[in-house]
Amino acid sequence: MKWLGNVLVSPGEGGVYGERTLEGYRVWDPYRSKLAALYTLGGGIELTPEIRVLYLGAANGTTASHVADYVETVYAVEFAPRPMQDLLEVARRRRNIIPIMADASRPEEYAPFMEAVDLVYQDVAQPNQVEIAERNLAFLKPGGHLILMLKTRSVDVRRDPAEVLAEARAGLERRLDVADVRWLDPYHQDHAAIVCSRRG
Amino acid sequence: MLQRYWFGDVDEVGCRAAGTDPAALAERAAALRTGMDSFVPIDWETARDCGVVRTREEYVDLLRSVCTTLARKKIALSYQGRDVELLQMVRMLDELDNVINLLSERAAEWYQVTNPSFSRKYRSLPAKKMLGIIRKGARGGLSDAAEEIDRLAGTRSRLMREVSARADEVMPNTSALIGGLVAARLLSKAGGLPALARMPGSTIQVLGSERALFSHLRGGTPPPKHGIIFQHRRVHNAPKPVRGRVARVLAAKLAIAARLDYYRGEAVPEFLKDAQARIDEAGVEAS
Repeated sequence: MKWLGNVLVSPGEGGVYGERTLEGYRVWDPYRSKLAALYTLGGGIELTPEIRVLYLGAANGTTASHVADYVETVYAVEFAPRPMQDLLEVARRRRNIIPIMADASRPEEYAPFMEAVDLVYQDVAQPNQVEIAERNLAFLKPGGHLILMLKTRSVDVRRDPAEVLAEARAGLERRLDVADVRWLDPYHQDHAAIVCSRRG
Repeated sequence: MLQRYWFGDVDEVGCRAAGTDPAALAERAAALRTGMDSFVPIDWETARDCGVVRTREEYVDLLRSVCTTLARKKIALSYQGRDVELLQMVRMLDELDNVINLLSERAAEWYQVTNPSFSRKYRSLPAKKMLGIIRKGARGGLSDAAEEIDRLAGTRSRLMREVSARADEVMPNTSALIGGLVAARLLSKAGGLPALARMPGSTIQVLGSERALFSHLRGGTPPPKHGIIFQHRRVHNAPKPVRGRVARVLAAKLAIAARLDYYRGEAVPEFLKDAQARIDEAGVEAS
């Protein structure tokens, strides 16, 4: 990852969503992007130029654009039409983003487009987030990583976030090795990042 | 094992390329269904050996244009429904309400400063009349602003009629039960007719009172009896002791109505008659 002092940046053409630039690099704001928050807090998986990423829940493509600055190819999956329009615009200007309009919980819809990836990054506001991650493991290379941004409030607002996290972690451990779990405070409330790797 | 990929079919024997035209590939890919159990991820070099592309760049470029074409089509399809525009119309209407209220409040405050004898308080002065007074009484910017607010109010009334008419057309059963405007607001909160049709009555009952609902779920506070449906006269005119019951029955009938609207798309008189009777019955206080 590229740091200027303690500011996380990414190399690439600016002006995607009005982000600041610093010495020609695009500032990647941890308050706006959960992935940036994870890196700022010292966690995450190093993004390198040769890796391929499956990004579930790409939304408007702001975080996806930063990921694309670092890696070889990003498969960006988004389901809702409105953000998809923005994502298409981002993908038009970034030749390594492949915009896929599909439901992340139905991988059979986009499997015909998918190669094996080194990293699955998932940021979806669904109650069955762990299940969605499991279904997408078919795309992850052995030894590859999964970063799951657990929105505990989307799972169940009534329950204690820590409890929701423990349950998600247990669910992931069925098929993955959990390497790191951390809350994204103070950048994002009630969001936790779970970093796992697929058994090789 | 045959694998059907976006660029062609691949099996042990070899591969059959599906051409290089993005539009044709997109059309073919839209129909592909993969069983995840037997799925093998693509090796892009297969596409190269197949003769579809020569380099990795070409592979990604072609895949991108196929996926972009597909996404455009899906977006267009999802915006096709008549309910999608209604959603935007009713949101614009509610936004106009907000803006008009804010602006008139501000105009009144300003006018009061220039005209010490004017007070809006303790006078039953409708907004429209007040704006008329300000427009005549004030000069310059304030008068212009009042005129614009008046014009906005006109836009709002016209839009309101449009919303009602469109709601009657898109959701005839729901509109018949609760009126076009409130029906449209329910639609907007739910996020579309398909979403509304899949909601249980209990959710429809509290649509629009999310704050009260979640504070209830998180702890302690009493549950909300009604959200948007409070705007319907049968709910807000109901005597307090039975208001919750009316809201519950009405919401239950609305859930059925929304499903009729979505799956049948036309008014169902028998259902409406029974539903109206049942709702009226709920409003009768036990003696």
